[in-house]
Amino acid sequence: MTDKVELEIKGLNFYYSGDIHALKNINLTIHNKSVTALIGPSGCGKTTLLRCFNRMHDLYPKHRYEGEIMFQDSNLLANGNDLIKLRSRIGMVFQRPTPFPMSIFDNVAYGLKLKGIKKKSDLAERVEKALKHAALWDEVKNKLTASAYDLSGGQQQRLVIARALAVEPEVLLFDEPTSALDPISTSKIEDLVMQLKKDITIIIVTHNMQQAARISDWTGFLMLGELIEFGTTERIFTAPSEKLTEDYVTGRFG
Amino acid sequence: MAIFDEELVRLNGLVLQMGSLVEMAIKNSVQSIVERDNELARKVIDGDHQVNTLDIEIDEESIRLIALRQPKAGDLRLITTAMKITADLERMGDLAVNIAQRAIELNKEPVLKEYIDIPRMREIAQGMTRDALDAFVKRDMKLAKDVIMRDDEIDDLKHKILSELLFLMTENSSIICRAMRVTFVAQYLERIADHATNMAEMVLYLIEGKIIRHTSKLP
Repeated sequence: MTDKVELEIKGLNFYYSGDIHALKNINLTIHNKSVTALIGPSGCGKTTLLRCFNRMHDLYPKHRYEGEIMFQDSNLLANGNDLIKLRSRIGMVFQRPTPFPMSIFDNVAYGLKLKGIKKKSDLAERVEKALKHAALWDEVKNKLTASAYDLSGGQQQRLVIARALAVEPEVLLFDEPTSALDPISTSKIEDLVMQLKKDITIIIVTHNMQQAARISDWTGFLMLGELIEFGTTERIFTAPSEKLTEDYVTGRFG
Repeated sequence: MAIFDEELVRLNGLVLQMGSLVEMAIKNSVQSIVERDNELARKVIDGDHQVNTLDIEIDEESIRLIALRQPKAGDLRLITTAMKITADLERMGDLAVNIAQRAIELNKEPVLKEYIDIPRMREIAQGMTRDALDAFVKRDMKLAKDVIMRDDEIDDLKHKILSELLFLMTENSSIICRAMRVTFVAQYLERIADHATNMAEMVLYLIEGKIIRHTSKLP
């Protein structure tokens, strides 16, 4: 965990088409090489916020952002940004594993090929590195040509993480990455997240408060589109300052 | 009320039950000296097992709640506070037993002198214990701070007793045995007040989430 700032969110508002005000004046600092967890009840805006960080909302033209997300001295919400490039710098892992219908090797090599890496030895080297980084290499090294669908759910999720890691992102966004996994696969992903923060910044949306407590350094609690409280995970789970946060983390919500 | 809330209420109740037993033991132990009542002293000694049983019960219940309910924030602070307060109460119970044991020894010999400051110390220590428990129940920050402030008073009384007894012992060596026993009693009461202070500090943690032990300033 460092004090360096990775992302600085300033006065962020987000509107879904039809002017649904989903995020209200969010101000937040994401620290470099740390794990930040976003928690809150369903519909609070945590996934909406996560999707702002790599402009996933741009897939729908009528959604709109206001405010700034500073990412290394430039506002990533500015018009004219290269979104493909942005998404390779800020990758995303979803709730359900999303392997492509191709081999294990090709899944990981996919993003690299898009980036223009063609030399086979380079590809092989970077695929191996990414799979090792995602703690999957030992399980798949002898069946790289097998279909990604032959893997278990937990392995598929790590494959997807390897695919994201292959393009060497600076930030990785996780949207409830273990909600479809069994406890053993979950604990492997959690270990992995804690390993990865040595090299990259991680933001994770989770419904599982134990998970937020176990793996994150910082926690933000959102409700009805507002950031109610943000602080170190230790403080949020032992002595939060806001009554709403207290009620939520102790399960006395509503 | 949710099951977990009921469990916390029950835990709270166990701590209070233990607290009132200990408070009574402190009162009775000193009374057994002042009134030279051996029966009362034995009652204190025999009653300590009830305190010990509650000590274990509270620990077991706290560990169970931590494991099964994964408490957070205020709930987590309540359970850790209960565990720590209980450890203090258990020691206070033992100290009351020590006072009762000295009472039985003292009651075999003639009265050394009229007890004035020992009952005064008892009154303060018992009051601190009661108020620390009250502050725990009512989440009363002011009362908890007040308990912590009173610790100096009891320290002063202890020093007063020690120097008085020291003077008497130099005058008359035949009373050394008895005077030492009274000295011990003053020491035990001072320790009881220290534990009450610890309890009050934990209550401040429970309310505020800040650990103030081993610092000189109150929040």
